Amino acid sequence: MSFIDSVLLGLSLVGNVEAFASLFIGIVIGVIGGAIPGLSATMAVALTLPFTFAMSPINGILLLLGVYKGGIFGGCIPAILIKTPGTPASSATILDGYPMAERGESGRALGMALWASCTADLVSNLSLILFAGWLASFALKFGPPEFFTLILFSLTIIAGVSGNSLLRGALSAILGLLLATVGLDLVYGTNRFTFGDPNLMGGLNFIAVLIGLFAVPEIIAMAAHPTAHLGKARSLGKTWVSFDDYRRSLKTILRGSMIGVFLGSIPGIGAAPAAFLSYSEARRTSKNRANFGKGEIEGVAASEAGNNGVAGATLIPLLALGVPGDVITAIIIGAFMIHGLQPGPMMFVLNVDLIYGLLIGLVVSSVFLLIVGTVAIRGFKYVADIPRRILMPAVLVLCVFGVFAVNNNIFDVAVMFAMGWLGYLMMRAEIPAAPFLIAFILGPLLEDNFRQSMLMSGSDLSILARGPITWFFWAATVLAIVAIVRSTMRPDTQAG
Amino acid sequence: MDINRRLGLVSLALAAVLCLAAIPAFVSSPSNVRNIVLSPTFWPYVLSGLLALTGVILVFTRYTEAGETADGAADSAEPVPGAGLRLAGIAAVMILTVLLLPRLGMVWTSMLAFAASAFLYRTRHPVTALVCAVLVPLGLYAFFAHVAGVAIPQGQFVRLP
Repeated sequence: MSFIDSVLLGLSLVGNVEAFASLFIGIVIGVIGGAIPGLSATMAVALTLPFTFAMSPINGILLLLGVYKGGIFGGCIPAILIKTPGTPASSATILDGYPMAERGESGRALGMALWASCTADLVSNLSLILFAGWLASFALKFGPPEFFTLILFSLTIIAGVSGNSLLRGALSAILGLLLATVGLDLVYGTNRFTFGDPNLMGGLNFIAVLIGLFAVPEIIAMAAHPTAHLGKARSLGKTWVSFDDYRRSLKTILRGSMIGVFLGSIPGIGAAPAAFLSYSEARRTSKNRANFGKGEIEGVAASEAGNNGVAGATLIPLLALGVPGDVITAIIIGAFMIHGLQPGPMMFVLNVDLIYGLLIGLVVSSVFLLIVGTVAIRGFKYVADIPRRILMPAVLVLCVFGVFAVNNNIFDVAVMFAMGWLGYLMMRAEIPAAPFLIAFILGPLLEDNFRQSMLMSGSDLSILARGPITWFFWAATVLAIVAIVRSTMRPDTQAG
Repeated sequence: MDINRRLGLVSLALAAVLCLAAIPAFVSSPSNVRNIVLSPTFWPYVLSGLLALTGVILVFTRYTEAGETADGAADSAEPVPGAGLRLAGIAAVMILTVLLLPRLGMVWTSMLAFAASAFLYRTRHPVTALVCAVLVPLGLYAFFAHVAGVAIPQGQFVRLP
């Protein structure tokens, strides 16, 4: 099938009002979710997921991708206006965005953030179109040993989503892997940690675990500290971003986009490191480097280009290899699974219309983001005014309905609350939740591919290093572990 | 005792419980397994070993990793008056939600959970909270029951169309 045929097939799937309406609504939800501090793009995607059950796969996934794209941009609005990032990815935007807001240039900073985000989003989507198909065709050669080493490698770069502590990130990942062992054994069908309860035989419900980990802890934390969220939003000011501002920052935006694409295509790194790397590169090479941190518009452009450049690229490993690029794409995997789809190289053979439909939708999403973002910047006042002490009870009720709807099972609601308390305790102990969720998804895949390899080889471990692909992933894994150990040891050495 | 050491000790205790009690008792393995690596217990034992290893490293690692500041730790530990009571309250709301779902139905239980949690959060908009407590579950019921076709539990008392 030629590229044109594939595009036409994709167009036949998304060439209707429902598909584009889903994408548009998703971006609106995402921008609002990202703009409310404490809600975050991750929670917005998780809470939207149950609403996709009744939709066709393409519309449901486009809705979630819209939420993802909108959420990443939306996070910059409170970062600039109230110095509180809506998403972790927007943390770098505060550095220059908030000083601009203090000078009365909020509108200019937000305008540049929007233009940089849309440009980076487009670059990221185009790279997805260029690389995902190529990577998927290469991955068709993968057997269980290759997938085992790939997933092992993906698990080592969980370090990227571990926040301040790699060790606590590793602990979180191991707990996620342990929880994934609950249910019937994959080979022999015997019970593992089911305690005789039939509800546990299929394993813990993925949606209950993810909503429990990402939404419920915020509900509990709100009870502990009901006034922690109160802040003051600044006005937009009278200055707006000009085309000349955009032209001067274009090189920075394109460099940031490429950094985002590169880091986003590596599973586990995510948007926040891309934003900070893009920002530091911009500061290193800029003529105005002395103004960085004091309200330099190029700094806002760099950080927003970095974090939005990731948003399309994280879908490269998701679609081509079936491995999530970050925590949000880990949630989006859930949407694929609910609709009976398994992301990975075979999807490019069996569901080529869906793949190209998604790619077309993603390109259109950059335009929608520009429209929605322009309105959202002016309407943030209304979003900021939603009382969080009413919003959080609404989130609680939404979680209950959403989790129940997956399997029509009240047990899943109980699992969600239990996971919520685990997530809250992890939050208090500063153990990041993202490695837990990624490991919970990758755990069964890792074990399944390992045991399939052992069955293939008659338990000969040498099959795990049977060719250049496995050698590559083993080498990458070792390098990643060395880098992780070195970065963990360095602060201790300095402290000592 | 710093946070890493406490986490390390908890990890070691959890690994010990898994290896000595939980895996032998709650993971069944057929007697005809040809090789240890194919056994259903192999993976849980490997993970327990990794948990113990992480625990040991955590015990011997000081809490001085990149990006950590004493200020940040102090902020998160700052006590808020009545926090313990409110946490117990939200836990009770969650437990009661699960227990009441089959009896009262999802809509009525959600209305009560909404109102109770808004009260716990000491909302400054009690009337809006009560209106939302009624409208949000009804709206969600309308979507999930009539659009998504989900069989929402109706309870034993008042049934909705």
